[in-house]
Amino acid sequence: MSEAEIPLKFVSSNRRVREDRRFVAGQGHYVADVALEGLLHVAVLPSQHPAARIVSIDASEALRMPGVHYVLTGEELAKAAEPLMNGLNTPHVKRYPLAVGQVRYAGEWVVAVVAESRAQAEDGAEKVRVVYEPLPYVIDSEEALDLSSTPVHPAHGSNVLLDRTFVWGEVDKHFAESPRHLSFRVTWGRNSTVPIETFGVAAKWDPWREILDVWASIQMPKYSDQIARALRIPLNNVRVHQDVDVGGSYGVKRGIKQTVIVSHLARRLGRPVRLIEDRLDNMRAGDAHGPDRIFDVEVAFDNDGIVKSMKMRALDNAGAYAGRAPFQLGKPIGAIVGPYKIQSVKYRAISVTSNKAAQEAVRGFGQAPTNYAIETAIDKVAAALGLDRIEIRKRNFIRSEEFPYLIPSGTRYDSGDYHTVVAKVLAHADYEGLKRERDELRAQGLCAGIGIAACLEPSGGNSSFEPLLNDANKTTTWMESCRINVDGLGFVTVTIHTTSSGQGHETLAATVVGEVLEIDPDQIRVVRPDSLNSLPGNSPVGSRMAIMLGGAAFHAAKKLKAKIVRLAAHQFGCVESDIVYQGGATSYPGSSRKLTWAEHVNIAHRNFHLLPDGMEPGLEVTHVLQVPTANKLPENGRVQMYPCHSFEFHLVLVVFDPEIGKPKIRRYVIGHDCGTVINPHIVKGMTLGGIAHGIGASLLEEFVYDSEGQMLTQSFMDYLLPSSHEVPHVEIVHHCTPSPFTVFGQKGSGESGYLGSPAAISGAINDAVSPYGISFAKLPIRIAAISDAIAAAKATKEKVQS
Amino acid sequence: MKLDIGGNETIPTSVDALWVALNDPAVLTRCIPGCKSMTEIAPDNYKVDMQLRVAAVGGSFEGEIQLSDKQAPKSCSIRVSGAGTLGHGNGTARFDIEPDGEGATRLVYKGTGEIGGLVAGVGQRILASVSKHLIGRFFVALRKEFESPISRAAG
Repeated sequence: MSEAEIPLKFVSSNRRVREDRRFVAGQGHYVADVALEGLLHVAVLPSQHPAARIVSIDASEALRMPGVHYVLTGEELAKAAEPLMNGLNTPHVKRYPLAVGQVRYAGEWVVAVVAESRAQAEDGAEKVRVVYEPLPYVIDSEEALDLSSTPVHPAHGSNVLLDRTFVWGEVDKHFAESPRHLSFRVTWGRNSTVPIETFGVAAKWDPWREILDVWASIQMPKYSDQIARALRIPLNNVRVHQDVDVGGSYGVKRGIKQTVIVSHLARRLGRPVRLIEDRLDNMRAGDAHGPDRIFDVEVAFDNDGIVKSMKMRALDNAGAYAGRAPFQLGKPIGAIVGPYKIQSVKYRAISVTSNKAAQEAVRGFGQAPTNYAIETAIDKVAAALGLDRIEIRKRNFIRSEEFPYLIPSGTRYDSGDYHTVVAKVLAHADYEGLKRERDELRAQGLCAGIGIAACLEPSGGNSSFEPLLNDANKTTTWMESCRINVDGLGFVTVTIHTTSSGQGHETLAATVVGEVLEIDPDQIRVVRPDSLNSLPGNSPVGSRMAIMLGGAAFHAAKKLKAKIVRLAAHQFGCVESDIVYQGGATSYPGSSRKLTWAEHVNIAHRNFHLLPDGMEPGLEVTHVLQVPTANKLPENGRVQMYPCHSFEFHLVLVVFDPEIGKPKIRRYVIGHDCGTVINPHIVKGMTLGGIAHGIGASLLEEFVYDSEGQMLTQSFMDYLLPSSHEVPHVEIVHHCTPSPFTVFGQKGSGESGYLGSPAAISGAINDAVSPYGISFAKLPIRIAAISDAIAAAKATKEKVQS
Repeated sequence: MKLDIGGNETIPTSVDALWVALNDPAVLTRCIPGCKSMTEIAPDNYKVDMQLRVAAVGGSFEGEIQLSDKQAPKSCSIRVSGAGTLGHGNGTARFDIEPDGEGATRLVYKGTGEIGGLVAGVGQRILASVSKHLIGRFFVALRKEFESPISRAAG
């Protein structure tokens, strides 16, 4: 598919990201900017108990408060709406937008109060009296897995949502053959992306046209389908406006429960209704928490450090409801061996319910935790053998000539050149110099450590994990679409059919179409029609849009170009293959005649008598693209997951005072290969942001629950985010190994940086504390944990000496 | 989250007078920080309405107080439970009253509580210090109850 013969003019060039202008100037148009006449506002009342029966709800005082219009309970909404979508085949794990009969986590929404203003709605919510009868609860993942634990959903019978064991290859044989084994446990703490803009949604019902209009800060596949199903209305009665800017997401903007609440209220009250979460709503119940996972890993290797086989048990705490959280154990199956030639894998994926907030998709869809576990294993093998951590990675890497490379779990990696990327990073960073710097810092009495991570970013997202983990699901289609229209005056308009949360899709589509049509991308308008005017698509998830929207735009532009060429050949009286297309103009080498862009447009729009037989007038094309390589259902627990695999290699130097334990990242170098880069600014922004996100995940951010089921980190005073103090200057070393499966050789980069930085930073901290004979096996590694562990190690040492 | 409280205070009054004061809803209403009203609903059972602020959150709290194991005038157990916009909580404490020199009485208290909701989520870092502060305000007010009008004027 690659178009290697034409030198690229706009793709990969240093061009401005067109969306940035409006964001930097404060001219984005977010859901809170949508002005609707007669708008009512919603505030929600959270449960204070992790588990309790709702005995009674008394809203009489709330309804007497100024401005209050209505108080919606879970009982009423459950009669009017279907339960929310459940990815697994667990029909008794029902989820409604507001708690029905029972609350299942502290913070769960119990009633929604509607008023003239949000402030009045909040005041009203304070007056709603709910009587609870506390019930037993379970918070800890291992406890939840125990079949004697209190089920969060009694009708389901246990807390186990998913427990699947896959064996890919001859694991037992490989373990028996290998002279050395080691095993360990690491834990990934529950964190998220905490976007600046919380989730918000506004809905309006027009009974005369029977249309539900929805504006939302959304990033979710099949959003309008889910609204229609939940509200039991035809899908063509739902109109989602996609020209709403989304102020951050990376997976978590999945506000279906919020949307069902306001949509129901808009129909019930005959007025537009809006719910915009405040930070507390968002943190404790915005369905925005990420994976919460314990890994037990065992690896079999030889004395040269070659890792032959791996057993991994991943126990994930999905929180109170199923949703799509368990699938975050499935996607990493597509890169379960990382960049290494591990020959066989046994993988047990377990998802349990608990009385924590429901888990949702977060950047990487489970891949960053898995990469952390794999990279920890490689570090431990190196330590066991006394080998250099980079040397051991190089020994285990898949070699560039081995691609496409089939991993044991059924995915074929497209391309890569890991050894070259590592060599480039080592040359850039002066690895030997970096080690000397570490040792000099240690000689000064400081803790200093080098961290290394090599990992993959599977990209081009489809949903193969759905049929893999749910036999009832036969979905193999996961398309994205693009339409191009050249108007009667010759201007080009490209449509994309999703919202964007900062990924620069408008720049992407314009760049690709401009490249193919050889016209200035800045002259191309990119619009987002509403969902009723949209072609099929699955929204920007799974690091897919460079591949999928880029691919759809490419193919649509090719179709348009072919139509122009055919139209021109008819004018010249020659065959199409003789036409030379250049910069929007066509010529025929046998004649001096030339047709300009404007002339093609004029013929297509106004001279039907000049069109070839059977050609439709106008210049309009569409293309619906299926995910490359995604053409069949899983077989025997094996599946081709994502088509493309970007590579990143992190090298980090961390230093801190042993008494204080506050890590400072002194050097951060990342080697990054995402194939052909379409816009370098977008890729750079993704990588830097991803590393910042990973610093949060590894050192700061966690949704902490105490043993009584209360969430202790609801505000930014307790849930700590990396700031300019923590995020260092990052040096990016580029490399390009094109993918054979995409139109320009591009791969995904929406999760870059994040997928490896937690592993690298954890490795650096553990290297730094290794002189004390300790290590950390849980993220985030907070300052207090570091200083306490060092103090304890010193105390033990003194005790032994005395 | 769990909360432990404990301590002792010296009050400038007799054991009997302190016992009477601690069983008087009117005195308690004046002394408990944020207490708007305290109504006896049954012997040794009271309904309380409070208005409190903890860190960035403020709100109302409706609760019940029960006294038990009373051994006048020496000791008593107290159980507090309630809920409101701030969160919910319940706790038990034991009070022991003993003479402490001339004209003074020592009140020793020890208890545990469990707190949930907004207070636990937003205020947990400072909850221990806030509870100490609130207990401190209670005893400041309680001491004032026993200061004579003359000493008050002098003060």
